[in-house]
Amino acid sequence: MKKDVAVIGGGMTIFRRRLKETGKELSFLAAKMAMEDAGIQKDDIDMIVMGTAPDAFDGIHMKGENLLDGAAGAGKPYVRVFNGGGTGVFAPIAGWWHVASGVADVCLVVAEEKMGSCYPHPQTAFQHIWDPVLDRPLHPNLVWLFAMEMNRYMTVHGIKKEDIARVAVKNKRNAVGHPCAQLADPNITVDDVLNSEMMAWPVQRLDISPPSDGAAALLFCSEDVVRQYTDDPVWVGGVGWNIDSTMWTNRDLYFPRYVAHAAKMAYKMAGIVNPRKEIDFAEPYDPFDYKELHHMEGLLLCDKGEAPILTREGVTQRDGDMPICPSGGLLGVGNPIAATMGQKVCELYWQLAGKAGKRQIPTNPRVGVGQAWGDIMQMATVMVLKR
Amino acid sequence: MTFTEKQTDPTAPTHWRGNMQADYLYPNGVAGDKFFKHLKNNDNFLATVCPDCEKIFFPPRLYCEDCFVEIPGENWIEVPATGTVRLFTTATINAHGKKMETSKTIGLIDIDKTDGAMLGIIKSSEMDKDLLGLKVKAILRPREQREGTIKDILYFEEI
Ligand SMILES: [Zn+2]
Repeated sequence: MKKDVAVIGGGMTIFRRRLKETGKELSFLAAKMAMEDAGIQKDDIDMIVMGTAPDAFDGIHMKGENLLDGAAGAGKPYVRVFNGGGTGVFAPIAGWWHVASGVADVCLVVAEEKMGSCYPHPQTAFQHIWDPVLDRPLHPNLVWLFAMEMNRYMTVHGIKKEDIARVAVKNKRNAVGHPCAQLADPNITVDDVLNSEMMAWPVQRLDISPPSDGAAALLFCSEDVVRQYTDDPVWVGGVGWNIDSTMWTNRDLYFPRYVAHAAKMAYKMAGIVNPRKEIDFAEPYDPFDYKELHHMEGLLLCDKGEAPILTREGVTQRDGDMPICPSGGLLGVGNPIAATMGQKVCELYWQLAGKAGKRQIPTNPRVGVGQAWGDIMQMATVMVLKR
Repeated sequence: MTFTEKQTDPTAPTHWRGNMQADYLYPNGVAGDKFFKHLKNNDNFLATVCPDCEKIFFPPRLYCEDCFVEIPGENWIEVPATGTVRLFTTATINAHGKKMETSKTIGLIDIDKTDGAMLGIIKSSEMDKDLLGLKVKAILRPREQREGTIKDILYFEEI
């Protein structure tokens, strides 16, 4: 007998390139905020899910075990989930199933990343995800890979670079209202992005979100006990996830089909037939500006190749018809891999609960979708929240 | 399917020889920063007291993992750099399976006036005897040589 699952609390630390706090301390600060938001004590929490991406970032092998006491996990049923860049939305999916299954009434989800420990730059850790025999001997890095994907996307649809740069401008401006933001900029322009340092054509410096330290937390609660905590719950509508093989060489990169598979799974569960009409706003994963567009299309929020046009027309602005990344996204708030749960799912909760402050979407949204993406262009994780 | 071929030379199958580069700069954290800065300039330790359950954390921590509350600044206390051996072992073989030139005794030291303990090297005049319950004190680097790291504690010695 599947239980309906509500979100009753959220928390998020500031995101910065390097924070003084340990991963445990960051986890504690985010978890405590979510517990205070919900008005809940450690004793009220049945189970804990930790989401944190490769051990190589923090530099602590089996870091889920290291972080657990900071996540209220000491002496509790606790599990770490991890699937690279998809973790920020997969961790809350795991929190959802702990409650939906009836095993827990209340489940705390903490997502943490400390990329600053990998010194001098976490790119060295990313180098280990490639095939050790076929790819790594050539010393590739992820920017090259995404530059090729971006190029393919631009070529297939005839997209101009300036229409992609608009995404970076929108998100860095949206982040101005976010108290955790690392890269908010109220004055950034399309020209700033187009004039930023070329890294691997067509990817320039301001097309990319930065590595960050940070943590976020969410509390999930069963329909059976939710009235103890709130009269006006935000509900999980649906969840979906999908992963393709590492053989990215064998698929056309212009469209992320695994995102569409994950979205369809979530929409089916949520009873969403026409996502463009029924979804009010979205937080697609935006580690690069073109990825927001790519993922809007993967999430079936528009036609293939239409996302840059909607962006140019202002539809995706916070006060537009389909606000996209009202949080400021990864481009504006920062990209501590798993902790981007703060923008991709906590933001849905804050918007739907009317707790988004300066970032609040003015049109009273009732349904939002968040999505994360990762690995070698493989993984998609999707969650729909609704009021 | 069964594997019939026994590999005695790991380099015999065709292969690529790789390595995993990984260098780190681990921050001490909010609590650790205060602890190590104190250790650099003092001959005793710092600990933190949970405002709810009054458990005394050593090494000091920012939060109580049981009560899940933040420990405020006024709950930091100084404690002596002395303790009692709770557990110990003497190692004679190193991690590579080789006989060590000199054996090494390590133990878990319950730090006085706290509920915490730390791993430390133990030196005693009579290394063969049972060290359980032995009263020890931390021998620190000369103050001018300290760097504010765990290595400033050289070893624990019988009082
Ligand atoms: Zn306590």
